[in-house]
Amino acid sequence: MKIPDELHYTEDHEWGKAEDGMLRVGITDYAQNELGDIVFVDLFPKGTSVAKGDPIGTVESVKAVSDVFAPVDGEIAEVNDSLEDKPELVNQDPYEKGWMVVLKMDDPSQVNKLMDSQAYEEYLEAEAK
Amino acid sequence: MRTPLFEEHVKLGARIVDFHGWEMPVWYAGIKEEHLAVRSAAGVFDASHMGEIYVTGKESVPFLERALTRDISPMPKGRVLYGFLLNKGGGIIDDLTVYCIEPDSEYMLCVNASNTEKDFEWLCSNNREGARIENRSDETALVALQGPDGASILKDAFGFDLDRLKRYTFAFEDTRYGRLLISKTGYTGAGGAEIFLESAHAPALWSELIERGAVPCGLGARDTLRLEMGYPLHGNDIDESTTPLEAGLDFAVDMAKPEFIGKEALQEQLRSGLTRRLRGLVLKERGVPRQGCICVKDGREAGVVTSGSISPVLGTGIALAYLESSVQENDVLDVMVRSKPLKAIVKRPPFVSGTISK
Repeated sequence: MKIPDELHYTEDHEWGKAEDGMLRVGITDYAQNELGDIVFVDLFPKGTSVAKGDPIGTVESVKAVSDVFAPVDGEIAEVNDSLEDKPELVNQDPYEKGWMVVLKMDDPSQVNKLMDSQAYEEYLEAEAK
Repeated sequence: MRTPLFEEHVKLGARIVDFHGWEMPVWYAGIKEEHLAVRSAAGVFDASHMGEIYVTGKESVPFLERALTRDISPMPKGRVLYGFLLNKGGGIIDDLTVYCIEPDSEYMLCVNASNTEKDFEWLCSNNREGARIENRSDETALVALQGPDGASILKDAFGFDLDRLKRYTFAFEDTRYGRLLISKTGYTGAGGAEIFLESAHAPALWSELIERGAVPCGLGARDTLRLEMGYPLHGNDIDESTTPLEAGLDFAVDMAKPEFIGKEALQEQLRSGLTRRLRGLVLKERGVPRQGCICVKDGREAGVVTSGSISPVLGTGIALAYLESSVQENDVLDVMVRSKPLKAIVKRPPFVSGTISK
């Protein structure tokens, strides 16, 4: 189970990577593993304004549908179009090629409220119990 | 509940889920990979959760003739038939396969796991004829070896020639794993066999089939494989509120038989005409139809999806849905997938061919 040090994490198993007021967002290695083979990723279009906790899209595996939520307030500035044809990138490379959207953050300090890698690891351990 | 292969699933790193009270593998490596292995080579499934009910004695035939929708008396030794237990209203209590082990004296019914108890009780309570009915599900394991390479694996393992069997027949084979009942049947459309054996021998057989190249497959691939062929799943596509006629499964109802439970209701349905039919749908847009999705045609509700997924072979959404009987093949309608209308075309399954080349 990969949990990169430099990322921020939510309780819904999204990760965020802060880059100059922007937050690149995807789902964690744990989440993709739980979902199984991802067959469809449906993301909200560029320009959509979202509040923290709002859905930004859905990801579907053969067996399940799961919402992906915005880790912070912001506007969708970029969407990973390659997932349209290659949803399996989320399974294969959840933290790099499997990214989903880039949010332009309304308040970049909100990332500090997300979990760091150590807290997320502890969160997963607690959930497993 | 656990099958005799539970420990094997854990060793193989399977994702285990609850399936009607059974702890079953949903996948090992991944549904898509397992699915494609079955279509192009061979996969092996644990279906030991399914029920085996034996009906024996000289009363077995008159009893089964009345209890099942199939004509039992002409069955030769080694024949398998697909059929139903119906309630008086023609609703499907269960779909099953019946195995003629010894004409006029020994038959095995293979029934859905979650219905085993219900079926057994129903059979017992309707047993006017006094046939002997025995639930041997616990001591019987079922390993399904499916796919075009299944026959060569069986030949290498046991010198057993599956090719000499016709579809829907079976033979016994004495092996190092005891007596196997090898049946040329399955739930994938990919060919191969279903192997019934004593539970105690199941782990060794399972391991050998995997060593010989069969890919372990979970319930996830079992579901996508059967859906690509349009095979109904009891509890999803058929149940006590639907009849075999509505489900398009007329071939498994021998209406010419003098009597069987549910026959009068089916005759009445034939007289009055069907109001809905189970049909196949292929999505023309990206998206995954799911059970419960509403189908809309000409601005009004025309049916509901009972099974849906993405076809691993086609890469598009496929579904089975009950649609108003006015809807015809090749009609286009909207499937409401999370309140978004997605265009779908009505197609008669199978949606793909059962095997694909490597």
